[in-house]
Amino acid sequence: MFKKTTKAIFSAILATPIALMALADDKVTITVWSMDGHDLGNEDTHRQVIAAFEAEHPNIKIDLTLLPESGLEDRMNTAIGAGGKLPDVFPLLSGEWAPIALDLSPYIEADPELSQDMYAEPFWRTRATFGDSVVALPTGIGANVVLYNKDVFDKAGVEYPTADWTTEDFIKKAVAVTDKANGVWGGDRPRDAYRAIWHNYDAQVYSDDSTTVEGYHNSPQSLAAYQWYWDLVHSDATPTKAEIDVLGTEGTGPVDLFIAGRLGMATLNQSHMLRALKEGVNFGMVPEPAGPSKDRHANAWSATPAIAGNSEHPQEAYEFLSFWAGMEGQYISMTTGLNMFPSIPALWKDHPYIDHPAIQTFRTTLDWPLVRDFDGTHLCWRAALRRVDEVYELIGLKAIERNEIKKALDKEVVVLQTALDDCVSRLGS
Amino acid sequence: MKFMGKKSKRERTQAIEGYVALSPWMFGFLFFYAIPILASLYLSFTQWTLVGSVKWIGFENYIRMFTRDPVFIDAATATGFFVLYSLPFKLVLGLMLALLLNMKLPGMNYFRTIFFLPAVISGVAVSLMWIWFLQPDTGVVNTLLRYVGISGPGWFWDINWALPSVAMMSIWKVGGAAIIYLAGLQNIPAHLYEAAAIDGASKWQQFWRITLPLLTPVLLFQLIIEMIDAFKIFTEAFVITQGGPLNRTYFFLYYFYEEAFRNFNMGYASALAIFLLIVIMSATALVKWWSNRWVYYEN
Amino acid sequence: MKTETLASSRTQEIMDLHKARVGQRNRRALPKNILIYAFMTGLAFLFMLPIFWMASTSLKLPREVFAFPMEWLPSNPQWGNYEEAFSKFPLWRFMWNSTYMVVLSTIGQLISVPLIAYGFARFEFPGKNILFMLMLATLMVPTHIKFIPLYWMFQQLGLIGTYWPIILPEFFGHPFFIFLMTQYMRSIPKELDEAARLDGAGSFTILYLVILPLCKPVLAVIVVFSFLWNWNEFMAPLIFLDDFEEYPISVGLAFFQGRYSVEWHLFMAATLVSILPVLVLYFFAQRHLIGGLSAIGLKG
Repeated sequence: MFKKTTKAIFSAILATPIALMALADDKVTITVWSMDGHDLGNEDTHRQVIAAFEAEHPNIKIDLTLLPESGLEDRMNTAIGAGGKLPDVFPLLSGEWAPIALDLSPYIEADPELSQDMYAEPFWRTRATFGDSVVALPTGIGANVVLYNKDVFDKAGVEYPTADWTTEDFIKKAVAVTDKANGVWGGDRPRDAYRAIWHNYDAQVYSDDSTTVEGYHNSPQSLAAYQWYWDLVHSDATPTKAEIDVLGTEGTGPVDLFIAGRLGMATLNQSHMLRALKEGVNFGMVPEPAGPSKDRHANAWSATPAIAGNSEHPQEAYEFLSFWAGMEGQYISMTTGLNMFPSIPALWKDHPYIDHPAIQTFRTTLDWPLVRDFDGTHLCWRAALRRVDEVYELIGLKAIERNEIKKALDKEVVVLQTALDDCVSRLGS
Repeated sequence: MKFMGKKSKRERTQAIEGYVALSPWMFGFLFFYAIPILASLYLSFTQWTLVGSVKWIGFENYIRMFTRDPVFIDAATATGFFVLYSLPFKLVLGLMLALLLNMKLPGMNYFRTIFFLPAVISGVAVSLMWIWFLQPDTGVVNTLLRYVGISGPGWFWDINWALPSVAMMSIWKVGGAAIIYLAGLQNIPAHLYEAAAIDGASKWQQFWRITLPLLTPVLLFQLIIEMIDAFKIFTEAFVITQGGPLNRTYFFLYYFYEEAFRNFNMGYASALAIFLLIVIMSATALVKWWSNRWVYYEN
Repeated sequence: MKTETLASSRTQEIMDLHKARVGQRNRRALPKNILIYAFMTGLAFLFMLPIFWMASTSLKLPREVFAFPMEWLPSNPQWGNYEEAFSKFPLWRFMWNSTYMVVLSTIGQLISVPLIAYGFARFEFPGKNILFMLMLATLMVPTHIKFIPLYWMFQQLGLIGTYWPIILPEFFGHPFFIFLMTQYMRSIPKELDEAARLDGAGSFTILYLVILPLCKPVLAVIVVFSFLWNWNEFMAPLIFLDDFEEYPISVGLAFFQGRYSVEWHLFMAATLVSILPVLVLYFFAQRHLIGGLSAIGLKG
């Protein structure tokens, strides 16, 4: 019996490619790789979008491969490195993948139903374009905001943060609300340097032309940001990395502590807001605190599926992509599963949670310049940032004095310059 | 007739049959190992961003690795220390555990299962479990220490404790090694012990003169296998520490992974991998050579 | 005759002496034994602590997981967590896939390893030592190196998206098993081979009819370890499979780690269930395992 089952399974597995080939005669099959639970939606959402699409396009079949968050990047890199066939549609997770993506401009021009103005401008600007090409279409969007626990604030008798609060306010409120005896911290620390708060100090890690680090990473503005961070760490109002580090993949980790009522303020994103709503946490939302800079910055992103440059069916792949990232697909994603936030402003009025005051705050941040404006156009920022960790870590570990920061930054400039030059020679800027 | 230069028919048949028997392995070796290693060797002399084309740059990668890369030193140090910390403990504790488990007491079966369990589980879940277990604030270990009035260290998040914490995770799996030693212990003929007992040897003397020497082949096997595994440590850095704090757990394979798949620096990553391979091979050869002094083969 | 009786009576004396000593030892050993049990139990408790913690977490409510001060046990065990974990993802399906993968891989090892080990153990041919060293050296290769070349290879063969890239390499022998089995075969007396040859048996007949039947213990070892390693294999299925439904449990568990947060209680529940088959197998195979490894001798 067991042998028979094995044989059957064996033949089924062997037969699948043959079956698919047969299908190919009638329909075009588009392979799609995606992730579950991302701003792209969960499995259910994906299936609904695909079902709706296939209903409207009977000659196209979608072959979906759903991968865990941690796996898709590895798998794509392996496939790219192997140099062969890539999935027709995939999320453009990494700026470095842009060279292998299809330029969508001609397809968009020929498409009467989709145009650039449909989309929220910041995301088109920072995620969809690469140089002169359009490499992807934005779908679900997200941004960092600060959630605060009203109950914790009430208990400590502290006023809620307001939308125009500053980084100093952040520290003050965090200290006021901390209650160590009951295991409550006031706020959390930024996950790493050069995110929104650093930009709010006008700090930039290296020059716009990706050549010079000296005068940027150790600029007075940068120093001010690092010193603020030092003050935050030494206020003892924040949990250490150990206490937060419960495997936040991109570092949006404090959510568990926030939900447990042990964090007065947490820098989270809109998806966590939905979770807080579900768990019944009494919370409010403000943007990340302002610094001395003229413009306030936001750390926002969007999921951006793209088409492989070597796709054999670019037209059909585009049909699916434009559906998925267009009005119809995003409407489905918005109203099912994880209630993703669409990148098409026209759809926002239909979002299930649009009336919540927190969402209004979320929307205001989207009008600001984005952190991504620098990061997206400077491919080496990630490689560079990895080397820049040391000062940040030292501060976090309380292993450096406030007046030693400048010297440490100067030292890091040298290391960073080498890493930057090396990266630029490989990837361009 | 052998010395006549031509092999006898028997020997030729033997050789052919030997090759035939080995053929599955040779085929597998060629495709699944030889080709990837040769590819890595080739790539280590190039610069390649995965999305771009492969560019030959000669020894550049190696020169950079040995002269201009502080992270390389961090990675080598972290890996080296990990091997040094974990290996002796694993060998000694494994042996001690095996000696305990070897006792003919009822219920040992259950103990054996319990101690083997950690070796059996692996993967991300176990690493996550350890994150919690060792969390300074809410973790089990520090809570227990708090009960007895000790303020526990920062474990994975403390500069000085991160590497020992990872070593501890590895030592937790010592039950796997214990099983191998157990097998070796069963193999020592009982009459040797009896003869020694009659001659008045104490338990300790019996251990030193009979058990240990006869166990040395097993010890060597374990030493080599575990040393190779220790050099290849990766998951803990990947899941738990991300190489920190301050690169204290930036293990070599994790460095490889980051260079290859995060920094799109495949050429350099390949150079790193080749270097690691050479180190492991040299270490193994050294151990084997050293073993001639202390391994006792009953021939 | 006389010497025999003398010898046997001397043997008898030794045996009696030994028995008396053992008896004495046993009586004196009682307090020592209790000490040993206490120590072992304490040690076992420490070793099991992480797992106990997993179990406890799996029964908590999400907000209890990070409560302060830390709670050893959930106030109200949420057995429903297990149901929720299983309805969130098709975990049974994943485990069935894992079983399929593990069984086929183990069969592959069982087919290839005895043959290869036989070659190393019983035959002489030029380059044998070098090949043996090469085989051992493959243990030293870091895993990640293989994936890009393998992906390219299997893509050429059109096998991406199937279990073949994962299972096929298992049919060519894992060095650990080859090494183990070679040692084992070396300890089987060559006289048996020769006797069979005199009866007219060819080399491969000898392998399958004479040697292999004597290898049951080491084959048991291969089965257990192959099962364990394949059950936990993560990278390969991730890289090579396409269909969500076809993932093994090792990959399936990764889905619990979302980009924005992890549902710890569900994740722990799922993980504990996924460990069970491995445990059950080990528990039953325990006897064979010790027998198998010991019989190898690991000498020479």
